[in-house]
Parts: sequence; structure tokens; C-alpha cells
Amino acid sequence: MNLICKGFGALALLAVSTLANAFDLQQLSVQLAKPEVIHGQFIQEKHLRALPQPLLSKGSFVLAKNHGLLWLLKTPLQQDYRITANGIARRDGNAWQLLPNKSAGAEQNRLFLAVLQGDSSGLQRDFELALSGDAQQWKLTLTPRSVLLKQVFNQININGGELVQTIELLETQGDSTVLRMQDSTANQPLSEAEQHDFAE
Amino acid sequence: MTLPSERRLPWLFLILLLAVVALAGWQWRDGAPLSANLMELVPGTNPDALELRAEQRMQEPLNREMLVLVGHADRQQALAMAQTLGEQWQASGLFEKVQWNLQADLPALRTQLLQGRLAMLSADDRQLLTEHPDAFIQQRVQALFDPFNGFTLVPSQDDWLGLTGRIQNSQPKHGAVQLDIGSGALVADADSKSWVLLRARTTGNAFDMNLPLKVADLLQHSREQAAKSDVQLLAASGLLYAANGQQQATREMTWVGGGATLGILLLLLLAFRRWRVLLAFVPVLVGMLFGAVACVAVFGHMHVMTLVLGSSLIGVAVDYPLHYLSKSWSLKPWRSWPALRLTLSGLTLSLITSAIGYLALAWTPFPALTQIAVFSAAGLLGAYLSAVCLLPALLKNVELQPAQWPLRLAERLVQLRENLLEHVRTPVLLALLIAFCAGGLVQLQSKNDIRQWVGAPQRLTDEAQTIARITGYQPTSQFFLVRGANQQELLERQAALSERLQQLVNLDKLQGYLALDQLLSPPSQQQQVREALSKLPQHWQPLLDLGVPLAALQTELQQLQSLPAEDIDAALAGPLGEPYRTLWLGPTADGVAAMTSLQGLNNPSLLRVQALDLPGVMLVDRLGELNNVFAATQISAAELKLASCVLIVLVLIVPFGFGGALRIVALPLLAALCSLASLGWLGQPLTLFSLFGLLLVTAISVDYAILMREQVGGAAVSLLGTLLAALTTWLSFGLLAVSSTPAVSNFGLAVSLGLAFSFILAPWAGRHVHSTSVAEPAA
Repeated sequence: MNLICKGFGALALLAVSTLANAFDLQQLSVQLAKPEVIHGQFIQEKHLRALPQPLLSKGSFVLAKNHGLLWLLKTPLQQDYRITANGIARRDGNAWQLLPNKSAGAEQNRLFLAVLQGDSSGLQRDFELALSGDAQQWKLTLTPRSVLLKQVFNQININGGELVQTIELLETQGDSTVLRMQDSTANQPLSEAEQHDFAE
Repeated sequence: MTLPSERRLPWLFLILLLAVVALAGWQWRDGAPLSANLMELVPGTNPDALELRAEQRMQEPLNREMLVLVGHADRQQALAMAQTLGEQWQASGLFEKVQWNLQADLPALRTQLLQGRLAMLSADDRQLLTEHPDAFIQQRVQALFDPFNGFTLVPSQDDWLGLTGRIQNSQPKHGAVQLDIGSGALVADADSKSWVLLRARTTGNAFDMNLPLKVADLLQHSREQAAKSDVQLLAASGLLYAANGQQQATREMTWVGGGATLGILLLLLLAFRRWRVLLAFVPVLVGMLFGAVACVAVFGHMHVMTLVLGSSLIGVAVDYPLHYLSKSWSLKPWRSWPALRLTLSGLTLSLITSAIGYLALAWTPFPALTQIAVFSAAGLLGAYLSAVCLLPALLKNVELQPAQWPLRLAERLVQLRENLLEHVRTPVLLALLIAFCAGGLVQLQSKNDIRQWVGAPQRLTDEAQTIARITGYQPTSQFFLVRGANQQELLERQAALSERLQQLVNLDKLQGYLALDQLLSPPSQQQQVREALSKLPQHWQPLLDLGVPLAALQTELQQLQSLPAEDIDAALAGPLGEPYRTLWLGPTADGVAAMTSLQGLNNPSLLRVQALDLPGVMLVDRLGELNNVFAATQISAAELKLASCVLIVLVLIVPFGFGGALRIVALPLLAALCSLASLGWLGQPLTLFSLFGLLLVTAISVDYAILMREQVGGAAVSLLGTLLAALTTWLSFGLLAVSSTPAVSNFGLAVSLGLAFSFILAPWAGRHVHSTSVAEPAA
């Protein structure tokens, strides 16, 4: 299951939609909708039940409100990903290679994109949303509603302040993934190279 | 005036009738023995039992499943409606299974993936593992970090090598349908709407008489319900075609049968001015009864199309009583038994020639026509027997005083012809006629297609095409049948075929295909995977570097090595085998067999080439074969026509001599030629069915020539008899021309034209006799 997409999907949803079912959720979505572009570093920890140590990977990301997401993995291996309305692409040498839309995860990625573009039908339907804390320190919990999703994972937890800080995905099988977003900043516009990456 | 034998005949006939009624009652004990299966009507081109089984297997879903798209601009609304309809349909009791979302059994999927790690690996993945184990491991490491790698069912610690993920990703996906993860529904986006896929499988099949209509009703109701919420439904199913066919057949039978009956009754009343004369309809009823009973007795059931075409028998059956009823214009006083005695020989000849004509249809390779032939021949016999044995007794005390205007009309027609002949002599007329024929024949175009059998309304085919476009599911009727001595050989042969089909897919000549080799590999290749895996420890250092314990990898390898070879039955049992199950035919007399199904085909001839040099592989293209049979049958139909004419000449030599017989048969043949030419002039295509119609006309119109030649009661009376007979026959056949089934309508048109020409030409049959008896006043 592409849980990371789910996590980002939640963020994007909050950022673009005007949720009306709770005052806090609406406040949060307004708060997250403010920045045009977010730059930051990430650390991904993949906790596999059978491994004593998590699989660690690091890199940087760019989330642009009107474009999509750049996910640039630096260590232990280098690989760039891009998610836009066109689908998921992987950088292959100098060119972006659109991944074939046939992998079983494609549907979730599509859902994520729909959400990213402001299609608010996505997460509200698939998840119970619960928000706690305040604007400086909040926690959003997503619990899957559908039978299919429940068979795959238990919960998604998102923590943040002004911006999102961590996304935690708990799988039914016992594995989990934690994404830590660090040094996120909203005051830098897209660089020329980034614009080029989104445009291509 | 009644002979002793004539006293006994009615009673003997009544006993026979009673027996037939009893037989009919027994035949109908479990309801109507009717069938609407179109495939029963078309020629069986292949006696191969396995091919037949394969064909039935491929057709079964078409006849039992309904595919519906529930569309709305808002996906949520479409999903909600799909759910509502799904629940309603399930509750309707018409369906065995209604499915709008996948309730995936993930534990079962995981088990199958783990069990099939050797057997279900795709050819590309096998190659990578065997030839580039380093790259194989590298890709696995990448996948472990890849945040967008997608949904893997099996947790990493159960499958460090990532084989299950590869199997999952290599499963063929057809069409543009995506899984909506929240609801589990299958959704396609097109025409700025979201279309939710709803599939229903009925308890019976399309050929149960009542089911299709019930399903069509339910669908109509659902359409209306959905329209209230602005939701659009698109549906495709063989059931809908069957329902439409049934409704149409019922409607047409009512129109043709009812129209012909009313017209004929009216004609009888107008001409003979006695209520009792309506008893002339008794032979018609008896004829229908005999026809139906014979048909069920011979074939076990009767097709609805036989009923539609058979209802035209009304017009022919009523000709028998007309033979002697029309003598009331010349025979005064008219008495039933003497009138019958006068016309008995003509009646009998008429029965024989018509029966020859109908039975000639039985030798065509079309079960439909065989049924119609049996129905009609038995029906004619019944009508004849009742006209000869029963009806005269019923009309015993009736004194007919027919209206005089028909006779005056006939006299005027005779006069008209005489006048014409004074100005233009027969050879000139014949030359003109031949010019007309030549001109028409040049323009005649032949057209044959199985689709002529189906009067499918545009609406149904349009919807099916829209569904195919939106979902990308375009099932074709063609498929490959693959045989092998054992599973190993079978899977190898299917793989060889798949390789070629993949090339067609790459060239956009084919949209897709489904074969068992996509699900699992043959035992020998499973063994190769096992061997390749045993060399993997030399390459898996990158995995160890990530922190994967060596022990875990070793345990996994051991498990993999000890996985048993998986056979087809085991692979099909799991949830991933579901779409493949129809393809597996299992053990046969000389090995095993399976099918490869196709999607979105453009060019059937391209497919035939694929199978040419592949052993054990054959293309089954029923539609193509049928169209070929149609074309070939046209020639044999023409031969049959000639053969039936020869037979009729032989029969007629006895009463009329060789020259007379030739002349009597030449006229219907000329009439048939004129009809062909008329089709050409009218721009109507010549189909197999028009040819069959003309075959029939030849037989029926021999009767008119005989009537005219015999000249019982003078030229005008004979012409009147012929006119009445032609009118009644035309009333029933001509009405077939309005049928919306192209085949039936073609048949009706050809018969109508043939009858008209036969009537016009008939007086030339009696020229010899006419010249000697012309002095006789046409009283």
C-alpha cells in the first residue's frame, strides 16, 4: 500500500479543501493552504517487524500547491520521483520516465493526485478524521473506513505545527513507516530547476 | 350424393386428430417446448466435441451475465446508485450473483501469492532472475526504499526477495477500469462522468423463455429510477438481445398471424357471403397443430423463429378448401362432396408439389430451415387431410352462392389479357420480360451475414459499443483452442501463442488476450526458477547490507526450494485464478486443452495466420465460418431449387405429359427469375433468405399453374381460384416483409414478389387447354 501517498493526500486535502464538518479541521486546512511552495528535508524510517533496525532513507522534497510533489531520495541510493496530474514519474538519467499505470498501487496514487488537485471526495470517504491539539501543535488521526483499506493498515497519524512535521503509517501486518519532515520552509519560491522538473 | 367412404372419412380423421391433440398435450406437459437460442438456428459447422464445449464455455457468460455501467459526473453519486441497484437486484431473485464492489479476500490472495512464487513468476521476471541476478537484487533494494512502489500484499519479512510483488505487478490488466480503493468498486472515467461497473449473473440463461424479459423489465425500471437522480445506465448482455428477440417475435407473430387471419377471413366472407365458409379455417388450425407436433416430435422443441415463419403457413393451408370452394362459381348447385371429388386430383398434386418445395429446404445445412420444412410439410399434410376428410362433412348442407363481383373482376382480367395478346404477341412479351430480367439481374447484389438473423435494435448495439469504449472490455467471439499432450506441453504452446499475440498487441492490432500461461509457467520452467534461486546467495550482499538477517534470507530460500510444482488446477483455485477459470477445459481424450481469449480485435484474418505453424493451436471463428457457410449455401440452394423442379416435373408428367409438366414448371422458374430481377431493380440485396423464399415460391406457384391448366369451370373461374389462392398466400407471406429481422423480411419480400409474378404468368400455363375450351361460356 502506498501509505506515503495517503499521508500526503491527507495534507493536500487539508490544504485545498474547505472542510466544514469541524471548526478545527477547517482552521487546519486554512492554515495548511497558505504556503504556495514548501521545501524541506525528509527522513523515512521503515520499521519492518523482522528487522532490528529500521530501513533509513533521506532526501528532500518540494510540495507545490499548483504543481505536485518532487520527492528526491538521496541516501542510501539516489532516486528522484515526481507526482503530478500525469501520474508518477521516476527520473531516469536526465529524463522523467512515467511509470506504467498498471502496478497495483497506481489506483492509490491516482487517488492521491485527485486529492492533490482539490478533489475533496477522497479522504473523507475513506477515512475517519480526528483532530486534537492546537494550531501550534496538532495531531490528525486517519482511520480507514472501508473493508479493503482495513485489511491493509490500521491508522495514519499526522503531527504538525505551522507545517506538517511527521506522518506515521501503521500497517495491519505490523510494519510501519515514519516520515519526518525537517527544516520545512514556506518562504522560498520554486527554483528554475524545480519549475523545469514540474513542467517537463 | 355422399359415398359411403365419405361417411366414414370424417370419423377416421377425427380419431387421428384426437390422437394428435393427445400427443400435443403430452409434449406441452412441462410448458411450451419453445426455444429462442439463435445458435440453434445456424449451421453446425464443426462436429468436434471439444470445440463445441469450448464454444459453449465462451458463450455461457454472454448468455448469463449482464454488464451495467452506472454513470454520474460525481463519483459518489454513481457509487451510491450502483450500491442501491446492486442491493435491489440481489433481492429480485433473478440473479445468482450481483457484484458492484470487490470484497477482496486478502488472506487468500497472500496465500496464493506465497505458494505461487515459483510457478506464477512472469517470463520477464524469470529471465531477469536467471540471467541478471545482480540487477534482480538491486531492483529489490530499490523497491524497499521506493515510497511509490505501490501496494504489496505480502509483508517484506515473508518475501525478502520480492517475488510476490513482481507477480502482482505482472498480472495482465485489461481496459480502463480502476479500483476505487475506498469502496472497492471498479470505476472507469469517460465522457466527464464516473462509471461504476455493476455485474450481475442470472440464475438461468438467456434461453429460458421468461428470464430475459424479466431482466429487461428490471433494467428498464432501474433506468427510470436512476434517471430521477440524473444517473445514466448503460447495459450490455446477451439477455437483452434475447429479450428483444422474444418481444419482437411475439409482436411479429401477432401481426403476421393476426393480420393474415383477419385478411383471409374477410376475403372469404366477401367472396362467399356465408358465415359457415369461415369453417375453411379449420384446415389452417389443424395444419398449425400438425406442424407444431411434428416439429417438437422431430427436434424436441420448436424455435420461435419457426413459429414466426410458420405462421405464414396459414395462407397456404387455406388454399386447399379454396380449391373446391371456388368451384361454387361454376358448379351449380354447389355441394361439398361432389366439388371435392372434382378437385381432388388437383388438390393432391398441389400437396405433393408444395411438400416437395418445402422439404427441399430441409436439405440445406440450416437447422432453422429444416425446422420450418418439417413444420410446413406436416402442417400442409394436416391441412390437406382435414380439407379432404373433415371439411366437406362440415359444409355438407351449405349451399354456396358466392358474390358475383370477384368473377366479373376475373373475367375482366382475362379479357384484359386477351386484348393485350391481340396487340402484343407472347414471344414479344417474353422478350420484354427477359430484357427486364437481364436489366435487373445486372444490378443484383449478393449479401450474406449472420447479423441478418438478428434484428438487434441500434440502441442495444450502440450501448454495447459505448461500454466497450469506456471500459476497454471488448470481448470477441473468436478465440484460440490449444491442445497439448500434458500440462507442460499445453502451457508451452499457449506461451508460444501469447508471444505472437503480444506482437499484435504492440502493433495495436489487438487490444489484449488472456491465456493460462499468464497465470503460471510450465513445470520445467518452475524447475528452472528453483535452480536460478539456488545461485542467488552469491548476489544478495546488497540486501544483507540493508540489515536483512542472513538467516532470514536462507530460510526463505529453503522454503522456496521446497515449494512443490504447481499445476493448473491448483493455480486456478486461488483468487488470482478467477478470470482464467473459463479458459481451462481440462483433460480431453488425447491430453489436455485450454483456450486463449481475445479482446478488441480488428482483423480476424491476421489471427488465422498466427496459428498456422503452431502445433496444437487453432483459431475458432464461428462468425467467420458461418458467413462462409452462408455464401457456400447460396450455391447449394440454387442446386436444390433445380433438383426440386426436376422432381416436380417427374410428378407432373403423369397427369399432364412431359411438355405440359415442363411448361408448368417453367412458369414458376420464370417468376422466380423476375423476382430476382425485381430485387435488383429495387436495390434490395440477394440474400440466402431471399433465395430460400424463391425456392418456396417455385413450389407454391406450381399449384397456380396447375389450377390454370386444369381449367375446371373455365378460364375466368380458374383465374379467380388462382387469384384467391395467391391473395391468401400473399397475405401471410407478404406480411413477413415488415419484420424487423432482416432475414425474415428478406424472405417475405422475395416470396411476395414471386407470388405476384407467378399469378401474372399463370394463365400461360393453360394456353393449350384454353384454346379448345374458349367457346365454353365462363359461367
